[in-house]
Amino acid sequence: MTFRKFEMNLVNYGLKVFLLVLGCSFIFPLYWMASLSFKSKSEGYDNPFGLPKVWVFTNFSKALGKYHFFTYFKNSIIYTTGTILITLLIGSMLAYCLSRMEWKYSKTVLIYISLGLIIPIEVVIIPLFMMVKQLGIKDSYFGLLLPYIAFSLSSCTLMLYAFFRSLPKELEEAACIDGCNIYESYFRIIMPVVMPALATQCVLLFMRIWNEFPLAFIIAGRDRLRPITIGLLDFFVSIGVADWGLIGAAMLISSLPTIIVYMIGNEKIENALTAGAILK
Amino acid sequence: MNRYFGNRLAVFVFAFPALLLFTAFVIYPLFPEMMISLQNHDGFKSEGFVGLANYMDVLNSQTFWQANKNTLLVVALSIFVGLPISLMLALLMDAQTPSIRRFFKAAAVFPAVLSVTVVAQMWIAFYEPTWGLFNEILRTVGLGHLAKQWLTDKDTALISVAVALFWQYIGLNALLFYTGIKSIPKTYYEAALIDGAGYVKASIKITIPLLQDVVKYVLIISTLGSMALYAHVRIMTMGGPGDASRTIVYQMYYTAFERSEFGKGTATAMLFIIECLIISFLINRFVAREKIEI
Repeated sequence: MTFRKFEMNLVNYGLKVFLLVLGCSFIFPLYWMASLSFKSKSEGYDNPFGLPKVWVFTNFSKALGKYHFFTYFKNSIIYTTGTILITLLIGSMLAYCLSRMEWKYSKTVLIYISLGLIIPIEVVIIPLFMMVKQLGIKDSYFGLLLPYIAFSLSSCTLMLYAFFRSLPKELEEAACIDGCNIYESYFRIIMPVVMPALATQCVLLFMRIWNEFPLAFIIAGRDRLRPITIGLLDFFVSIGVADWGLIGAAMLISSLPTIIVYMIGNEKIENALTAGAILK
Repeated sequence: MNRYFGNRLAVFVFAFPALLLFTAFVIYPLFPEMMISLQNHDGFKSEGFVGLANYMDVLNSQTFWQANKNTLLVVALSIFVGLPISLMLALLMDAQTPSIRRFFKAAAVFPAVLSVTVVAQMWIAFYEPTWGLFNEILRTVGLGHLAKQWLTDKDTALISVAVALFWQYIGLNALLFYTGIKSIPKTYYEAALIDGAGYVKASIKITIPLLQDVVKYVLIISTLGSMALYAHVRIMTMGGPGDASRTIVYQMYYTAFERSEFGKGTATAMLFIIECLIISFLINRFVAREKIEI
């Protein structure tokens, strides 16, 4: 082995270790939450990052007593599934209409809907807050659902638009000859064909809505309407930083749904996220 | 077939629901926003129009400029530090064995799917002055004098929050770059190898130029993401100490929802929109070879 080769090997080895360490740091939160959730109040301070020396199993029940996890969980499910279902339905219909149907303003509408990509949700939060109050939907799930759907439409429509354009027109021609009208052919023939693209959208929307913070923080004012992200913050504030064992338990319970989704659909998530790069 | 695709009623049925919602909740709010920014408004009722006074107040306030400086610093760091690191990670991933690559790919997205509340709380524990991870490490290696109150020191608060933000998304960005690298035809590299180029040279001459589209995409999402930095700041520092980690969006929330000055809050928002447009324009103008389809 020449010296140069040895040097190259050393560099390569170093880079390998670096990637592994960084990779471990990315999954460190999982270990941290889990170990924390089995620590007593005092051990949370004495041994904040190691494995628990004394295993405490009461944190979960205590946290669930003070932290309305099931309410928040239910709310997050309602916001997320509601947004996904409605966005996919009306977003795909618009995308279909823009890419396949013949009408004068389709190009204009395409540009119009693209505006949504450059308007971050944060900039209209103040008028949205006031609108939602005036419409009287602040104390219902619609207060968050409608803005969520509206802000998800741009990226969903544009991505599906690209997908629809790649389909052959023969699909509908065959359906037309068989006597289907446009609605039937859309739901029976086109929808099933674009299922993979809809699944990708599903993953992207899940990640976006499940963890959405800025809007939920302002609009979901009432405890019974809060999604997990906001409820969790509220729980931290209400117990202060007094008991990290409880914090760990609450974090672990709250993150479990995402962790499970992540473990099942890891590959799918990767593909979905990278599919987003086609968009722009 | 023409009657089929040109069916007026069907066009309406297919396009209307989405366009209605989009218009009502994305486009329309910009108009009341503009109107409120010209009024003295407390969120419940208006005290009348005041012209551009809100804008003047905002532009004359030191806090606004401090918030701007902070936000632009985070944006600059994300462009000049965060992105090169992600790109480097992607190149490293590409050069590693499949098993390490698989592990890294699986781990990289994890922080991005975690709730911001959890991520911020973990970094709070890292930065904690008495028992936090960083100070503990510094003390262990004998650099105890460098230990800091990371989140309450005005010199480190903003950077500390930015590090948490970057850590959360760096893996995801690396993965996006990596996918881009994978889509470059192998033959280019074979040709380069024949010409005697090494891995580093091939990366600089082939990979990076051909990655333009992905770079553009990642640049836009991470720039707009850093521009709108709010949740991390709200949870980790509440903008403090003083104004040291206040961002524009934080300042907007604070003015409207904590001080009930909706007029000034919306004026801040309008100025923020203008900044976002300018930055998008600059990226389009100087980075993208062809115009980005917005």
